[in-house]
Amino acid sequence: MKSETRFQTLVSVAALAVSMHAGYAASQAASNTLASPESFSSIADADARSAAMFTELGKVLTHPRCVNCHPAGDRPRQGDESRLHQPPVERGIDGHGTETMRCSICHQKANFEPGRVPGHPEWHIAPREMAWEGKTLAEICAQIKDPVHNGGRKVEDLIHHIGTDTLVGWAWQPGFGRAPAPGTQKEAGALVDAWVKTGAVCPAR
Amino acid sequence: MTTLALTINGGAQGPREVRDDLTMNDFLREYLGMTGTKFGCGAAQCLSCAVIVDNPDGTSYTSPTCIVPAKSFDGKAIRTVEGHAKNGELSALQKAFIAHFAFQCGYCTAGFLNEAQVLLERLEKTPVARAELEKTIAEALDGHICRCTGYIKYHEAVRDVILADPKRYLV
Repeated sequence: MKSETRFQTLVSVAALAVSMHAGYAASQAASNTLASPESFSSIADADARSAAMFTELGKVLTHPRCVNCHPAGDRPRQGDESRLHQPPVERGIDGHGTETMRCSICHQKANFEPGRVPGHPEWHIAPREMAWEGKTLAEICAQIKDPVHNGGRKVEDLIHHIGTDTLVGWAWQPGFGRAPAPGTQKEAGALVDAWVKTGAVCPAR
Repeated sequence: MTTLALTINGGAQGPREVRDDLTMNDFLREYLGMTGTKFGCGAAQCLSCAVIVDNPDGTSYTSPTCIVPAKSFDGKAIRTVEGHAKNGELSALQKAFIAHFAFQCGYCTAGFLNEAQVLLERLEKTPVARAELEKTIAEALDGHICRCTGYIKYHEAVRDVILADPKRYLV
């Protein structure tokens, strides 16, 4: 290969690498935002549009801020790595910890930054039947619609629960060292609202 | 700033103004000079900083202090390692810890002591069968980390105290 050709090849490879990196960065940025319900209006089929909006909401539901406290087992997870909670704690009878290690012993009414401890007056983990960890978005969707697995709620109730509940809202104000859930709680609530009004269709996977 | 008043080892402390971001561990160690409560991991993962909190109903539990704001203890009654010995005599647990050589560096000891004391008080109210005792002790001390690996000796010391007075702690 002539040196000029070799140089052109190197430049091309470098340009390709840069463009791939840029694409990755753009994708990462997008994962921190939520698309509005209106942005799905180009999907003519109502069921497909509904499922697409739930898929967008799935960026929130599968985020560590949510899944960590919707664990598959009896121990919550923590951090953006979703490691098992340390110290070792368990849900207990009511989801607020065991008799001798209640969540509220460490988790105060608000985040306590000097201790890097998140907080809320109702800090607890979701009931066992609301486990999301390890589930596909389709499975989470089916579960979230099922009153047996969603705390006896109608799908309409989920608009308020996800859109305005203050414990859910903590996910967007998680304190230092924890990535907030994508978008805003208001945007997530708008997606739930639009999803419910279009039939609450679940994605295929 | 927050006004903090609480009871520590039976004595009133405060009221005094403390910063909202002051941890309970710093309040005990730096403001009151009660250095028996240790600062270990700073993340409530070793529990060397644990103190006893007394509920009004007579029950008790342990709480880490390194990650918890001092202001959250306002109005509460707590016990620290400094409060176990009475009139210069060590408690049964403290004597057992020494008899079993349970600790080496001693950094974790205050946390283990407080946790074991809470266990004794719990067993007085809700005794367990002898067959459940090993599991009960292990679960109670779970979460307390000893870098000198004195776990078994701590466990044996607590067991000895309980078995020395079985009518009090066992069914």
